[in-house]
Amino acid sequence: MKSISKLQIFHRYPWFIPLLIFLLMIGVYIWALQGLKVDFELLKNSWPFITDFISRLFPPNLQVLDIAIQGLIETVQMSVWGTSIGAVLSLPIAIASSSNVAPLWLRWIANLLQNAIRSVPSIILGLIFVAATGLGAPAGTLALSIYTIGYLAKFYQQAIESVDHRSLESLQVIGASKIQIAQYGILPQILPLGLGYTLWMFEYNIRAASVLGVVGAGGIGFQLKSYIDGFEYTKATTMMLVLLVVVTVIDWFSSKLRRYLESM
Amino acid sequence: MTIDQVAHKNYHLSKLSQSNVNFIECCHLETGYISSLQRPILNNISCQINQGEFVALLGLNGAGKSTLLKSLVGLVPLIKGEIKINGVSVSGQNLSQIRRDVGMLFQGGGLIRQLSAIDNVLCGRLGARKTGKTLFGFPQRDRILALELLTQLGLKEQVYQKTGQLSGGQQQKVAIARALMQSPQILLADEPTTGLDVVASQQVMATLAELHQQGLTIITVLHDLALATEYAQRAIILDNGKVIYDGKCENLQARFSTAIK
Repeated sequence: MKSISKLQIFHRYPWFIPLLIFLLMIGVYIWALQGLKVDFELLKNSWPFITDFISRLFPPNLQVLDIAIQGLIETVQMSVWGTSIGAVLSLPIAIASSSNVAPLWLRWIANLLQNAIRSVPSIILGLIFVAATGLGAPAGTLALSIYTIGYLAKFYQQAIESVDHRSLESLQVIGASKIQIAQYGILPQILPLGLGYTLWMFEYNIRAASVLGVVGAGGIGFQLKSYIDGFEYTKATTMMLVLLVVVTVIDWFSSKLRRYLESM
Repeated sequence: MTIDQVAHKNYHLSKLSQSNVNFIECCHLETGYISSLQRPILNNISCQINQGEFVALLGLNGAGKSTLLKSLVGLVPLIKGEIKINGVSVSGQNLSQIRRDVGMLFQGGGLIRQLSAIDNVLCGRLGARKTGKTLFGFPQRDRILALELLTQLGLKEQVYQKTGQLSGGQQQKVAIARALMQSPQILLADEPTTGLDVVASQQVMATLAELHQQGLTIITVLHDLALATEYAQRAIILDNGKVIYDGKCENLQARFSTAIK
């Protein structure tokens, strides 16, 4: 009886629950802001320092354009291999994590592995592989491959789980083996979505590879960090502009390709 | 094996079964309890279907029609009862043997939308080919057979078109062609006309009727009583997981209204 009367209250005042959620969210934001200990006075006074820093970035020094392009090519190369190795390793983990394919015990292990990989920041992976293989692009490529698994395994898993179950049941009734169901039932359905996710990851890895350079794992980030450390800000700007152009071009190209793949 | 060859094989099988042995026997079928329905989906169902019959399974939503159909190919676990097809029990170790003789049309076709019509039809041969043999495609004779089946069903122009781009009626025909690739003795169809316009529904039902005339045993779930009256020989009406009518398809509208109250 008690629960029925509560329900009646919610029906009579339908705005009650949305208001409660709104107040709860305000509470969360206030709590988070308090934790940040933001000094608004300091922020107001820091504006001249920000403008001064930005003004020192211009004009870009185009004398280092060839170095920037060289660094960028290395970054793209790292991303190509890092994404590809990661994608290949992600597939079995994704299959093992999918609720419509794998048994519960295997899903549990595969999901734990995914979470463990995702919880390690890319920069830490970079440090680990720099310690293992030394400074340079190989360390960055290996770090990117592992970093990629954390995301692509999850994306592939979602693609596998969204496969039309009736189509798989129909192959099962025909008497297809598990490998035949995977080849003719699952793969064609996840391929367009999976390729789209892989392209997005490739694009993301170009940005991630730039960060990895900071710990000496190769790519354009290595030069970028060197110029900022040496107060050569105009050269750093050239690096960032080249990166901006390439990221924009790749984003445009991969968006077009993704749209095409999704329409398949 | 073309439609004619399938028909030839089934004609002989139907002659062999003139002894009128029950081809499909369902005895006291019961599935697990569903709390939302407050009953098992199948609740003590028994029925027999003879070789060469065209049976329409009718009933309201949730009556258990699709579940009964799926249980015939072992897709639904039973907690009580037994199904026998051609004297063989539908259970774990016999499933592959049973499924070899049964083709099934799923609601919406159950096709792979990203594959072409011919590739979907070829999938009908997966059970007959070992994994290693289909890893790099299908043998030429399978491709010729798939092409013949699609041509006979009026889909010659759509052979290499992606199934997702075909109309609902065309998709059902692809699904029928895929089922025929198995050269089955029994064809199960789960609401084959759902989502189709009147013309496409008639075409699909006419194809099923043609296959029935050629000797195939057909069991189909239908919502349209007029289609059931026009094409089926026998109707089984289910309500709340039980058989409440099993007989001829005459005056179905009146029988349905009387039975479901």
